[in-house]
Amino acid sequence: MISEKSRPKPFLLPQTCKACGRCISACPKHCIELGTEINPLTGQTPIVINYDQCNGCGLCIAACPEPHGLMAEPGEIDFELVDPAHLFGHRTSDAPEPVALPDQRVALPRVEPMILKGNHASAVGALLAGCRHFFGYPITPSTEGAELLAKLLPKLDGVFVQAVSEVATVNMMYGCGGAGQRCMTFTSSPGFSLMLEGISYMIGAELPGVFFNVMRGGPGLGNIGPEQADIKLCCRGLGHGNSHAPVLAPATPQEMLDLTMVAFDMAFKYRSPVILASDGYLGQMTGRVTLPDFMIRPGLPEWAVFGDRMHRRNLHTSILLIEPDLEKHNQHLNAKYAQMFREEQRSDAFLCDDAEWLIIACNTPARMAKGAISELREQGIRVGLFRPISLFPFPVDALRPLLGRVRGVIMVEAGPGQLEDEVRLSLSHAGVTQLPPITRVRHGGGVLPQQHEIVEAVRALARPAKGGVA
Amino acid sequence: MSVFYNKFERHAHGEGLKGISTHYCPGCGHGLIHKYIAEAIEELGIQDRTVAVSPVGCAVFMYYYLDVGNTQAAHGRAPAVAIGHKVANPEAIVFAYQGDGDLASIGLAEIIQACQLGLPMTFIFVNNAIYGMTGGQMAPTTLMGQKTATTPTGRSRIAGEPLRMAEIVAQISGPIYVERCALFDPKQRMRAKKAITKAFRLQAENRGLSFVEILSECPTHLKLSPHEAEEWVKDHMLPIFPLGVKKDEEVEPWFKLGPASFEPENVLKVIGGTNQKPPRYGSGFPTHIDPTDISIKFAGAGGDGAQTIAMLTTKAAINEGWDSTHIPSYGPESRGGTSYADVRIASGEVLSPACPRPHVLVAFNPPSLEKFGPTVRPGGTVIYDRSVIPEPPALPDNLTVIPVPCSEIAMDMGKRMVKNVVAMGALQAATRMFPPESFLIPLRSALKDNASVLDLNIEAFERGRKACEEAMAGL
Repeated sequence: MISEKSRPKPFLLPQTCKACGRCISACPKHCIELGTEINPLTGQTPIVINYDQCNGCGLCIAACPEPHGLMAEPGEIDFELVDPAHLFGHRTSDAPEPVALPDQRVALPRVEPMILKGNHASAVGALLAGCRHFFGYPITPSTEGAELLAKLLPKLDGVFVQAVSEVATVNMMYGCGGAGQRCMTFTSSPGFSLMLEGISYMIGAELPGVFFNVMRGGPGLGNIGPEQADIKLCCRGLGHGNSHAPVLAPATPQEMLDLTMVAFDMAFKYRSPVILASDGYLGQMTGRVTLPDFMIRPGLPEWAVFGDRMHRRNLHTSILLIEPDLEKHNQHLNAKYAQMFREEQRSDAFLCDDAEWLIIACNTPARMAKGAISELREQGIRVGLFRPISLFPFPVDALRPLLGRVRGVIMVEAGPGQLEDEVRLSLSHAGVTQLPPITRVRHGGGVLPQQHEIVEAVRALARPAKGGVA
Repeated sequence: MSVFYNKFERHAHGEGLKGISTHYCPGCGHGLIHKYIAEAIEELGIQDRTVAVSPVGCAVFMYYYLDVGNTQAAHGRAPAVAIGHKVANPEAIVFAYQGDGDLASIGLAEIIQACQLGLPMTFIFVNNAIYGMTGGQMAPTTLMGQKTATTPTGRSRIAGEPLRMAEIVAQISGPIYVERCALFDPKQRMRAKKAITKAFRLQAENRGLSFVEILSECPTHLKLSPHEAEEWVKDHMLPIFPLGVKKDEEVEPWFKLGPASFEPENVLKVIGGTNQKPPRYGSGFPTHIDPTDISIKFAGAGGDGAQTIAMLTTKAAINEGWDSTHIPSYGPESRGGTSYADVRIASGEVLSPACPRPHVLVAFNPPSLEKFGPTVRPGGTVIYDRSVIPEPPALPDNLTVIPVPCSEIAMDMGKRMVKNVVAMGALQAATRMFPPESFLIPLRSALKDNASVLDLNIEAFERGRKACEEAMAGL
């Protein structure tokens, strides 16, 4: 028991007092009262303490809501009362400057090609990319990927969490990605819609995470057939605000694996969510998948809020209250988007060199188009396929030179034309205003464009009916 | 106090008074609760390990003040963010701090799930019966009759009754410690501080989840003086929100996760990669069917097993060194109606995975045969289950149409389920695309955990081959 005399008396810098008076009622000796003098810094009337009656019980200190308000008398410290910045020093924290622990690329022994369903291939890609945390909410037709990870992650001492909703899912990813870990989810269109708010927060706070969206028929509950009707959301509508993130569109089980690994790389390179936009057909497709000759053993980035001493000074937030601060942050994000545009355009050109007609398609419709092209080539019609693999950034640099050489473009989409919108908008941003004539083979609602329809559409262009205008 | 930053650099860049004082109004309870949290963290020596999840609400800027790892969550989602942090690093001490709108309205699902999971985490719930940051609207905890910006004449029956979160949470099995405290006098404050410290200690000891609800004052929106607000909490909130321990279970430390494995050998084992090359039995691409690209359609009712043998055929083809894809039919058909599968096998790359014009059709029921029979290419092959389709529809003359009594053979073997494997045997015999052994390898692999039915399936395959050869001889 400390004797009354040795107990420190309360001490207050008057400018920290908001005159709430909690200490007044807390004092059993009634030695605190509201002052009458207005503090010129705060406009408040700080409390005054009658030290003669004070026995240093400390109840007033416990009652003061201000961190730097009433405190035990500091004793020897020589206070500079005028400048609070000087008083409390320039160092805000003794936490160290964090240093990144780099990722390691580990050699993977050669194995025979595997036979995998598309959604499974993506899950395997995630494991090889160093993902050991999965969060998700079941939704058809995306569940196989999650189910495989539920089975495999515990065997690697990873974590699988079935969240209460897609809203919770994306926010768990905000936390786990914020801790610098590689995490992912599988979802499908309605679930993806629910995640968009969280994705906007992740973009704002610059947090990584991989979102696998198996696009299905919409709007609303729609159906579980394959539809490419989330391209608009992925490329132009990732939640509110100035939000963009890389969007990759695989077309084979092999690409489901490869692009999932690329997605994790990009997520950490850009500190950003990355969207894999697939379709239900592709997720169900089984095919041959060759594993890479490496896997990733993740390090820990310097910006992580990991819950250790090294990263104690870090903060993740998307709120920037002061307008010029937020504008500056958006300029920083714009610079990242510009870098993505410079460095991440990906596409595939199939038989485009001599093509008179150019089909543009992605995901499963691109496979249908390839089948059609082989049929059309047999008939002597020179047609090629341009397949964007990155939908954001759209690969305009590769597409632009093709456009000048072809007589027409055929957009093949299992959707209402969102890929065409993206083609037009991206080309327009890139200054390309003269487009070849565009024809469309479109279906929606879960119906895929069929090979024969593509063949017929191109034949009608290439060999116009008698009496038609060439 | 070291758990508070010496200077609040994040508060308007720490300029002037903002560098040393909070953004809270005079008489607000948040500052006190922050202080008790800081003291608890210091006392337990967990400052370096702590991750604080700030909410949306007046406490959104908690990260201005606490010198710990900080993250700021979307409205209501702090528990989900906290779960993300806890499973990312089980050593971290993760706590979420939420107001009544955040936790008890928009974030109800998240807090309930966090409590259901019961991972060792700490939840501090600040209940002041009103929305502070948005300007004094009704909260889920607003009292009956209480006037707010959205209940201008007082909360009435139509706006529902206040939610008692501590009692709700205490009923969930996950949390081990739930208490409701208050701040209105020194005794209550001492209890609140003790409760907060305990809530952190139980996490630090890996025992479980704690939930501390604190009745707090919002003089600004209650339009009362700080002292009157304390009295109001005591007189009006206490009868609705009784203080005290709602749950306090003795639990042994249990929480442990990871560390995750990144050993290449282990990863390969888990994903099933193997360097064992499957044996090849075929001598080359079955060009007698097509020079480069073969299409096979399998069709039946859901449960006929069309998908299974389609998958086995794809595996056989890939093992033989060719590219192959299998896609199942989509939609409600796969729940019992028509089920069909497209298999493509190509010497190079499979271009389109669909089979609009198959070389071979395997049909298990009349609608399948009627629908897809006419799509088979001239010169192609149709195999159908004669037991189910006694009277097949007329098909083009240029097809080889082979009736095989798949179901009868299967029933004769005592397992109707294996009729699909009978059909696969027939497919092999009819097309000779690969030797029988090519089909048996993936069949053995698929049944490796179910050896008891393997022999039965091999027999089914053989009988299918034989039946097909007999049928072909009779054509």
